[in-house]
Amino acid sequence: MTTVGEKFLTPRDTADVCEIVRESFAVRGGRQLRIVGGGSWLDAGRPVLDAIPLRLTNLAGVVEYIPGDLTLTAHAATPLAELQRLVRAHGQWVPLDAMGNEHATVGGALATAGYGPLSATVGRPRDVALGVELVTGEGRVIRGGGRVVKNVAGFDMVRLNVGAWGTLGIITEATVRLRALPTVEATIAVALASEIERLTNQLLALRSALLAPLAMEMLNAVLASRLDIATADIVLVRVAGNEESVRAQRQVLESLGDTCDVPHDVWDRLQRSDPEGSASMRLSHRPSELATLWGATKTACASIVDVQVHANIERGIVRVVVPGGMSAELQPLVSALASAGHVIAERLPVQCWGSLGADFASPLAVGARRAFDPGAILNRGVLAPHA
Amino acid sequence: MAAIVGERHVLERPSELLVYTADGLPGYRKQPSLAVFPRTRDEVIAVVRLLARENVPFVPRGAGTGLSGGALADGCVLLGLNRLTSILSIDPVNRTAVVEPGVVNVNLTKAAMPYGLHYAPDPSSQAACTIGGNVAENAGGPHCLKYGVTLNHVVALNIILPSGELTSLGSADGERDGYDFLGAFVGSEGCFGVALDATVRLSRNPEGVRTLLADFMSVDAAARATSSIIGAGIVPAALEMMDNPTIRAVEASIYAAGYPTDAAAVLLMEIDGLEAGLDRDAAMLEALCREGGARDVRIARDERERTRLWQGRKKAFGAMGRVSSHLVVQDAVIPRTRLPDVLNAIAEIGRKHRITVCNVFHAGDGNLHPNIPYNANDPDESGRVYLAMREVMAACVAAGGSVTGEHGIGLDKLEYMELIFSNDSLDAMCRLRALFDPDRRANPGKVVPVHACREWTMAVSTRVS
Repeated sequence: MTTVGEKFLTPRDTADVCEIVRESFAVRGGRQLRIVGGGSWLDAGRPVLDAIPLRLTNLAGVVEYIPGDLTLTAHAATPLAELQRLVRAHGQWVPLDAMGNEHATVGGALATAGYGPLSATVGRPRDVALGVELVTGEGRVIRGGGRVVKNVAGFDMVRLNVGAWGTLGIITEATVRLRALPTVEATIAVALASEIERLTNQLLALRSALLAPLAMEMLNAVLASRLDIATADIVLVRVAGNEESVRAQRQVLESLGDTCDVPHDVWDRLQRSDPEGSASMRLSHRPSELATLWGATKTACASIVDVQVHANIERGIVRVVVPGGMSAELQPLVSALASAGHVIAERLPVQCWGSLGADFASPLAVGARRAFDPGAILNRGVLAPHA
Repeated sequence: MAAIVGERHVLERPSELLVYTADGLPGYRKQPSLAVFPRTRDEVIAVVRLLARENVPFVPRGAGTGLSGGALADGCVLLGLNRLTSILSIDPVNRTAVVEPGVVNVNLTKAAMPYGLHYAPDPSSQAACTIGGNVAENAGGPHCLKYGVTLNHVVALNIILPSGELTSLGSADGERDGYDFLGAFVGSEGCFGVALDATVRLSRNPEGVRTLLADFMSVDAAARATSSIIGAGIVPAALEMMDNPTIRAVEASIYAAGYPTDAAAVLLMEIDGLEAGLDRDAAMLEALCREGGARDVRIARDERERTRLWQGRKKAFGAMGRVSSHLVVQDAVIPRTRLPDVLNAIAEIGRKHRITVCNVFHAGDGNLHPNIPYNANDPDESGRVYLAMREVMAACVAAGGSVTGEHGIGLDKLEYMELIFSNDSLDAMCRLRALFDPDRRANPGKVVPVHACREWTMAVSTRVS
């Protein structure tokens, strides 16, 4: 099946993964493994040095899907796009919308725990994940959570591993919560004020308006024109419900600024809008600070061309995407953003990290690493250059 | 201890400790060695550090309304947090509140009311239970169907580890990287340390609410109607089921809600949100119930009727006090499509052991509460109740479910853990706990059966040899 010296390892199933991990753990000094699902994050600027890729490609397929339960269990490397197609046929959807490409897998989505515009209403991956099967750094198969929508049995191995980037265990199977598709949906763009004080009021009005939006995402002019929607800053509001509810919400939005309807596929296009080779990071503070963060981001990016910026109004998170080849500008940008709020690196060259990701060096985090990956063989270096 | 909290707030005499020998679940009595009730954050810190210095195990306790024996201290110190009752701040713009652990759940909602906000998790005990206890248990409640459980509403925690060290989990000022230790702490049943304060999310009060009551001539029909509602894509704020024994207990009590006493089961449903379109959704719910065989569906006309319908549901456990002296309140979860057959199986188990099972539960989540009124002083009846409970749990597990949806493992469900988790999985949980409490001094002996912790077992055997 596998020997050291091969370019990559391709286990057939969970038992294979176990065997590989056990072997790797037993090797003197440990054999470093790099867990690969869809491969979306291999260029994230987080070097997993000298590691052999462990490709989970064969761990694909649905384990259990009973539409009436609104839950789905699948092997880790099942492409999310495939799951979306499957459940859509039953009027449902998988509420995971991490920014990224079409190769994203369900295991990768939970391990990296990225999220997009929908997170304000449907929750983040930690809220969507119900259960996981994983292989620890010693090659033991463990399960956390289950296949039901409410569960408090035992200590929470699911939350611990969602967003752990495979460093506490390799997710081999996952159960997620599904949602029913709304009867009616519409996406409406509202023009945004540019002056900070007016923007602050406008965002406050949007957050307190009588709306039940699935998403409210601000886009800067660069991104809006790239998506062919507008040439200035706008907010995209995704409203859902029955016909009456959507009609009423449309009227509310019209009272808040100039509006226009936008084709629904804008959300898919936004999800895939990161240019090849770009660097990306998120900046956050309290939602009430969003207008200030937005302004600070614009100032910090003023001298860099084609920076795409979007922000989640309900969560108060700004996402900054800098085209490739700008490494000289990145370092000062990260410092400037870090003085405005909390920065989380997504894809960032190693030299720009500075003090980012410090929480991965906390005593609890170091302890967790030691407890679940004592040989330090799983995705070392993936969390942050120092972790 | 007395030097820290004052003599009046340290209880030692067995008579004083009597009320602390039980929690909300009858059938267990454990005597703490003493109980201490700090008033302030600094006092909590001083107490926990003293316990650490003296290497004494302790059990954190909120209001003691838990239903799994989780807040019982067996010969160790009971650390009561119910005197830390301050709501430290409410931020209406960001919709968060910072509260001390002893704040009573419903008091937070009352305090948030002037801002048009509320705290969404609403366990039936919300008039008494504390936010700290809710965090420890990852408490649910009827409205969690739409709004999520405690886990989904806690933004940040300042905690003291059993070692006496302070640390913060999560963040109220934006995202934070690192592992999700906040998520791991919520629901850790007091085994990971003590929350000194919690920042929780507040939710906007819905513009409109419709509460419906549908009654059915068979439990099976009510269960099938539940499945069809969930499957149709409506997410009610709540979808509760009560069976005939429960209905009769409620209607005979002071909480009489006007449920039809001849119905085999009722569904209590609530939808909320924007006023526009709400009547159409209510009509759709009604139609689905009628198609599913409902004899009658009625919509609460006003707030008074709505409150009355809910009162019956929320006080159903209390109402069962009329039926018998003791009540086992059970908690299990199953996939929602399995409701009809598992409810049948439970009825069969009840007949076999000659006991009455009253079902009152969160049908929309598949979260069952098969409750058994009995007399705990009758050993024969108690024995039959115990056997029936085991079989009910086994039936839920066989249906792909879990042994607890919101009450926790505590002491009561330790023996069921091995029904759903392998030794390796249980050992992993022990390791997770050890990150927070390597000496296992916080709430010892709860959640994971001790023999499942490999490291601990090895340490003991080494010591013995």
